[in-house]
Amino acid sequence: MRIAFLIALLAAAVFYSYIAFADLNFMTRTGRLGPGFFPRLIGVAAIIVTLWAILDELRRGRISSEDVEGSWLDVAVLIALAVGYAVLIRLFGGFIATFLFLAVALTILNRGQHIKNMAVAALVPAIVYLLFDRILNANMPPALFELL
Amino acid sequence: MDIFADLMMGLSVAISPINILYLLIGAMVGMVVGVIPGFGPSAGLAILLPVTFGMDPIGAIMMLAAIYYGAMYGGTITSILLNTPGESATVASTFDGFPLAKAGRAGPALVMQAVASFVGGTVGVILITVLAPMFSQVSRSFGPPEYFLLAMMGMLTLIVMIGTNWRLGVISALIGFALGTVGVDLETGQGRYTFGSAELIGGIYFIPIAIGLFGLGELFYAFYSGLHRTGTGGIVQYDKEERFWPTAQDWISTRMTMVRGSILGFVVGVIPGAGATIASLMAYSTERSLSKTPEKFGTGEMAGLVAPETANNAASSGAMIPLLTLGIPGSASTAVLLAAFLLWGLRPGPLFMEQNPELAWGLIASMYLGNMALLAISIFAIPVFVQIIKVPYRVLGPCVVVICALGTFSVHASFVEMFLMFGAGIVGFFMRLYGYSPAALVLALVLGPLAEEALRQTLTISRGSFIIFVDRTPSLWIIVVTVVLVVFLPLLHRFGGKGTGGGEAEKAGS
Repeated sequence: MRIAFLIALLAAAVFYSYIAFADLNFMTRTGRLGPGFFPRLIGVAAIIVTLWAILDELRRGRISSEDVEGSWLDVAVLIALAVGYAVLIRLFGGFIATFLFLAVALTILNRGQHIKNMAVAALVPAIVYLLFDRILNANMPPALFELL
Repeated sequence: MDIFADLMMGLSVAISPINILYLLIGAMVGMVVGVIPGFGPSAGLAILLPVTFGMDPIGAIMMLAAIYYGAMYGGTITSILLNTPGESATVASTFDGFPLAKAGRAGPALVMQAVASFVGGTVGVILITVLAPMFSQVSRSFGPPEYFLLAMMGMLTLIVMIGTNWRLGVISALIGFALGTVGVDLETGQGRYTFGSAELIGGIYFIPIAIGLFGLGELFYAFYSGLHRTGTGGIVQYDKEERFWPTAQDWISTRMTMVRGSILGFVVGVIPGAGATIASLMAYSTERSLSKTPEKFGTGEMAGLVAPETANNAASSGAMIPLLTLGIPGSASTAVLLAAFLLWGLRPGPLFMEQNPELAWGLIASMYLGNMALLAISIFAIPVFVQIIKVPYRVLGPCVVVICALGTFSVHASFVEMFLMFGAGIVGFFMRLYGYSPAALVLALVLGPLAEEALRQTLTISRGSFIIFVDRTPSLWIIVVTVVLVVFLPLLHRFGGKGTGGGEAEKAGS
């Protein structure tokens, strides 16, 4: 996974550099340094250092060597819940999505505490709504049907 | 006398009831942020920055600064009672703090850490009061070459402190620089990496990235490392009645430790990129090497707790100097503070204190008051924070996701920024997992546009010649200082980190 992450970064660095060289000018018409100057420096440096880091990893033979033994399942569940929450916010708006997200997330993560979980799921959106919408006059995400 | 008059004016601004309220809220929130393991001041600042949008700029900046230095106070409570540092700058406090608690001296340890934090923070603010105007004077002779070099100094210092994985630090910084180039080029008006999207014309906004990396990224990593499964069963109980206060011996034996820790911490804090974590580890090591009984360090020596505590608080004050006088943040936390300044249309730099005396001196004066408030809160509200430690991470986690998402949306009412924040959170998790530096990324994202502009201006002035960097006296000095720091800081840190968990430097800069 470590190598895969580095290869993904290398691909991004190559793509970034390609645009810097192909689409962005190094100099302006007036002879000053253009918008492509800095991105080219960064892109080339990123390719070199990422390749160096990949070679380092290969040399050490650490194909899969996370420093901390951890639980992929737990983090995958939380990431999936967070992504689901992002979709729910877009569909139902901040208030309802927050209630649904917390109800589901706490049911999965904090098992057996149904009353506490529901209380938190109801209280947090209410507090956040009061704080953001009423006290601070900030924006709460509207539901998709409100926008239509 | 000018400084005294300015400070009095600042005090008159800071002491208004509403600003005092914001200051107290900031101090409390900072302590809570510090108490929660896995969340440092950068995460707290990034997540709570949107909350301050409806506020007056002076009150908001005072509140955010209080969150920043308040986190240093809070982080130690878990270091002492749970052997788990609330944030990376309080790692060194576990070495003697937890053994003290296990030996039945949790009360004196908690009081002494609060006093040490107060002394470090207050000495730091006194030094800011005296030195910030001088730094402003000096920095007025700085031009684009110096600004470019200062930005590079901050990045390089942060990267070399990462240690053996410095290549990953460089990659992190380059990602930040690359993200900083997205948007319209201000000199030519040409779009860069916008791919025809109107949302990207203004560039990639700093806040969603910072909230994603520090808020969600840290949360995902905490779940990965199983923090949500571990309860707080290991929390050491402390005696609220008897043996709560330190003995005369505790005070006497640590008085010079406080002085040394404060000065060392402040100096390290002023160096862009070094930060409070490095300061606390160096102070611990220095104190151990000066001690007549170094073998007692790590077994519950009060000086071993006091030294890192004074140093990390003094360092957080010291880090305000480059921020206020140069507009160069030295760490991820001060980068978020810089973002807050920019949001209110304020540009810290050489003329900042002259052009915004009320805000600059109001902020400095508020730090005196904030440290006093934090001393009282630290001692008398310990039971409240112990209760917060007991809130299970599996309940806290989903609530943090909610605050991150809604906080990001509230800035520009943008769903794109909110999705960007979730993306940054996932990337931040992998960065944290594989030893990259989210702090370097965020710092580079903030410093990138400034560095690019300064470099292009420099090369325009010099007609493409890099000799300008050594031709000018101020820039030559900055190069010399940078070389010295890059060569000696890792050595000092290795010396400081020997046997003291020096690996925590990876988190340095947060």
